[in-house]
Amino acid sequence: LIVNSSPPKLTSEDMIAAFSQAVDWAGCTIRAFAWHPHTSKFAVALLDDSIRVYNSNSATIPSLKHRLQRNVAAMAWKPLCASILAVACQSCVLVWHLDPTSLSTRPSSGCAQVLSYPGHSPVTSLAWAPSGEVLLSASPVNTAMLVWDVSTENCVQLQWFGGGGVTYLAWSPDGSKVLAAAPSAVFRVWEAQMWTCERWPTIKGRCQTGCWSPDGSRLLFTVLGASVIYSLSFSEYRGEMQGQVGGSKTASIVADLSETTFETLYGEERIGGEIHSMVWDPTGERLAVIIRGKKEVLQTVIAVFRTRNSPVFELLPCGFLRGECGAQPQLIAFHPCFKKGALLTVCWSTGKISHIPFFFMSAHVPCTSSSPSPVIASTSVCE
Amino acid sequence: SSSAASTPSTRCAGSRSPLNITPLYALSGLLLTDSVVFSVTSCVTVVLLQCSEQYFFLILDSFNDLYTSYVIFCILLMSVVILVISIFNVEFYAVVPSIPCSRLALIGKIIHPQQVIHSVAHAVMGMLVAWCAAVMTKGKFQFLAVPCTPSESLDDAVPQMCLNEHHLFFLLSGAFMGYSYSLLYLINNMNYLPFPVIQQYKYLRFRRSLPLLVKHTCVESLYFVRNFCVTYYFFGYIPKVWISTTMDLHIDSKLHPLDTLTGLLDLSLFYHAWLCGVFLLITWYIVFLCFALYNTTSDPTFAEETDQCLPKILNSNPPLIIKFLALQDLMLLSQYSPVRRQEVFSLSQPGGHPHNWTAISRECLSLLSDLTQRLIAQQEAAAANGRAKQPAGELKVTPQTPAFFLVLNPKTSMSSLVKSSLMPLKTSPGSDVGSPFSSPALSCKMGILDVNSPWHGSVQSSQVTRRGPKLWTSGSDLQMNGSHHESFPLLSAAGVGSEAVQPRVIYTWLQNKQQQNALISSQHPEASIQAVFSDAQMHIWALEGLSHLVAASFTEDQFGVVQTTLPAILNTLLTLQEVVDRHFKLPHVSSKPPRISGSLVDTSYKTLRFALRASLKTALYRITTVFGEHLNAVQVSTEHKKRLQQFLEYKE
Repeated sequence: LIVNSSPPKLTSEDMIAAFSQAVDWAGCTIRAFAWHPHTSKFAVALLDDSIRVYNSNSATIPSLKHRLQRNVAAMAWKPLCASILAVACQSCVLVWHLDPTSLSTRPSSGCAQVLSYPGHSPVTSLAWAPSGEVLLSASPVNTAMLVWDVSTENCVQLQWFGGGGVTYLAWSPDGSKVLAAAPSAVFRVWEAQMWTCERWPTIKGRCQTGCWSPDGSRLLFTVLGASVIYSLSFSEYRGEMQGQVGGSKTASIVADLSETTFETLYGEERIGGEIHSMVWDPTGERLAVIIRGKKEVLQTVIAVFRTRNSPVFELLPCGFLRGECGAQPQLIAFHPCFKKGALLTVCWSTGKISHIPFFFMSAHVPCTSSSPSPVIASTSVCE
Repeated sequence: SSSAASTPSTRCAGSRSPLNITPLYALSGLLLTDSVVFSVTSCVTVVLLQCSEQYFFLILDSFNDLYTSYVIFCILLMSVVILVISIFNVEFYAVVPSIPCSRLALIGKIIHPQQVIHSVAHAVMGMLVAWCAAVMTKGKFQFLAVPCTPSESLDDAVPQMCLNEHHLFFLLSGAFMGYSYSLLYLINNMNYLPFPVIQQYKYLRFRRSLPLLVKHTCVESLYFVRNFCVTYYFFGYIPKVWISTTMDLHIDSKLHPLDTLTGLLDLSLFYHAWLCGVFLLITWYIVFLCFALYNTTSDPTFAEETDQCLPKILNSNPPLIIKFLALQDLMLLSQYSPVRRQEVFSLSQPGGHPHNWTAISRECLSLLSDLTQRLIAQQEAAAANGRAKQPAGELKVTPQTPAFFLVLNPKTSMSSLVKSSLMPLKTSPGSDVGSPFSSPALSCKMGILDVNSPWHGSVQSSQVTRRGPKLWTSGSDLQMNGSHHESFPLLSAAGVGSEAVQPRVIYTWLQNKQQQNALISSQHPEASIQAVFSDAQMHIWALEGLSHLVAASFTEDQFGVVQTTLPAILNTLLTLQEVVDRHFKLPHVSSKPPRISGSLVDTSYKTLRFALRASLKTALYRITTVFGEHLNAVQVSTEHKKRLQQFLEYKE
């Protein structure tokens, strides 16, 4: 894998493959996945550059194709909106305006807005403001990340110098902060009101992935090549501290996922390695991590942790998830509004998508789930 | 916030309450900001001046004379120029751009006395800047009068003074650039203060726009110099001869005259004129940029030092910019500041009335319903226009026809009149020729109303003679509508008398004029739509502010003050939603924003309607997402209930 190499030497496909959250972006049939923030609807980007939109309430599966929709690296649904999907493509950002009541399976390319900016390609990451007002887009070759007002196609550059472009974006669920990872050993945390940033140099390598606690007070991130999860806490966002990010002095290691031997029903197994991607469920009680084992020796697995953010941060191992024989996990995502606990969606290298519910009573949102059981109900895991 | 509780029941809970807004509103004028702007800009420009001298002008010359009295005088003069330019900026800025709907209106704007003063002043300022540049460049540009090149034959003669045409060229190019700047300032609506998409500190915004500014200036200066060269080629002899005669200077016959092709192909001259243009435009643009930045950024650091507060400002009738800033502040507080939101939801101390919330919500709702009314009026006008257009093609069966002929003398000219008045109907039924004098204000504000039925022209003829053509319309008299309704009785009054033939004469004259003027007077549909939404930024902020406050009230509103207005808010938003939806279904209305080129000229007002549509939908979703099923308990009409259900199911 390419570490700290200067991006312009790579082709844009290599670049997307290196910075994508999908484990094997170049080879897998599923390249990107996105849940709608409010309804049971998700979009899947496939290897043939088409996007399918699945809806639990509808039998029609629109297939989105556009001349500019190539090498999709990421997708994001607009919050507080019925059906607007932003797609990070090789040369631009496409914003699809889908009619939620339409029965058409092939929306015309006229439904897509093209947002392009010179020097801003390939786009590898997107993030909508949780308030739905602006869209952020990032490219590893452009030192600026762009803030788009999608309705007017107007954009503002947020420039910084040093560290190269921006590879990965994560907007905190409370809307106060944005993580922006760079292709070098540094990442930044922006506060989203006055758009000032804190710069965080890492010791080992570039930030590979990161996720926010629901209240935006804690950031978990991993560094390429390391098998530990770092945690960074931020002073609670009050709104009066305009223009301050408020990060703590140093990040602390909260979990070590290096190679270990586990006793299982099938004998001893060695699990552990680099962390490729990481998602935190919207209640802040489950954390799922894709651990990428070394080729041929260890397999790629998903580790699930039980977490608690207050009064003190806790991270307890919960279990591992493995696919059918030969299936490697590619992408993971939590359903944004699952009422009975958490619903983890896993895209496998075989092209299958499975939903794995975790039933529990959330301390944050008391819900009326009948059988609170903190067990993993694995639907499609073969053992 | 503790002081807020102890203050008596003034409308805005206390002078030091968190609802205070920035002193921009507090100071009745913009004097403070302007002085700050001025101090900054003069610093910037002086630095820039010196840089540009060092890097550009003095490359060709020695550095020795940098601090001579000339240079110091020039810097002083430049400061005066910048002061004057800032004063013009203060006088001419606008938060709502005035959009000319037709070429006629644009011409009207250009010859408006105010604009003429602006142009003349800028031309003079440009000349002064050019003079400074010429003096500091030295060399062949420095003085207007130079000794003539001695001729061989008259060696003993007294050296005569000759006109330095290079200097004159320089001065005139400065004036030309000043004038061009002023013209572009008007045409591109450069006086429009754009509010940024995201909040950022002034310094960062300034730094961000600087590269663009430099690039834009360099290119623009190139065009200006080119245009000036062409102008000088044709008309250069006029000032040359005039100056030389009035100042009794000779024209040096040895030197090549500049208003010839070979004279203008002087690269050094072109380069110096271009540099001078870059210098002039950069300083002026920076002055405007600073002015715009200072006035569109709400500065949090002063928030404690004012005794004006948001509800009071919103309910009074302040200058437009203050209203804009207040609404921007409302949007910010509703989104980012829990403490100030608490202040909004609070009750007045004795009495327990939610004065703050009432004032804020009332103002926002009235703004939004104003927009609704305006859009409905526009749509009705468009529909009426569509109806009026239809019979124009079919003629004869129009109901107005008999009524019109009744007022004319049937004996004399019945047949000829029928012929003459119907002929044009046949010849130009579908042509999009707008009547030039069909009350430009109305048709402009009412959108795509192209009053092109010849009936309209004839009917209005009497009105035209009465009123006379109105070349410029200021923003205030844009509101008079319905004037084409009163034109029918007016016509009959004019026609009953002995002047039965007069309408026909005027009518034919008008027809001719119409064809001549079609090019300059035709309504541009896009411009008219832009004009309807020109102040939509206010409505966008009102929508964002209201929806964020309502959403926050779900958890933060302890006394339930928001609940009481929730039906009204939903009602207003849903009605506006319907009307906006209908607007985007009108013919001529594009559903996609035009491409904005990343240039210095801000054209964000052209896309405000798209932003409004998006934030309206987001605002509704923000409320429905937070309240969810609870909205079923809110009393709204069944139609709106259906719409709300759509929103709740994410199907809008």
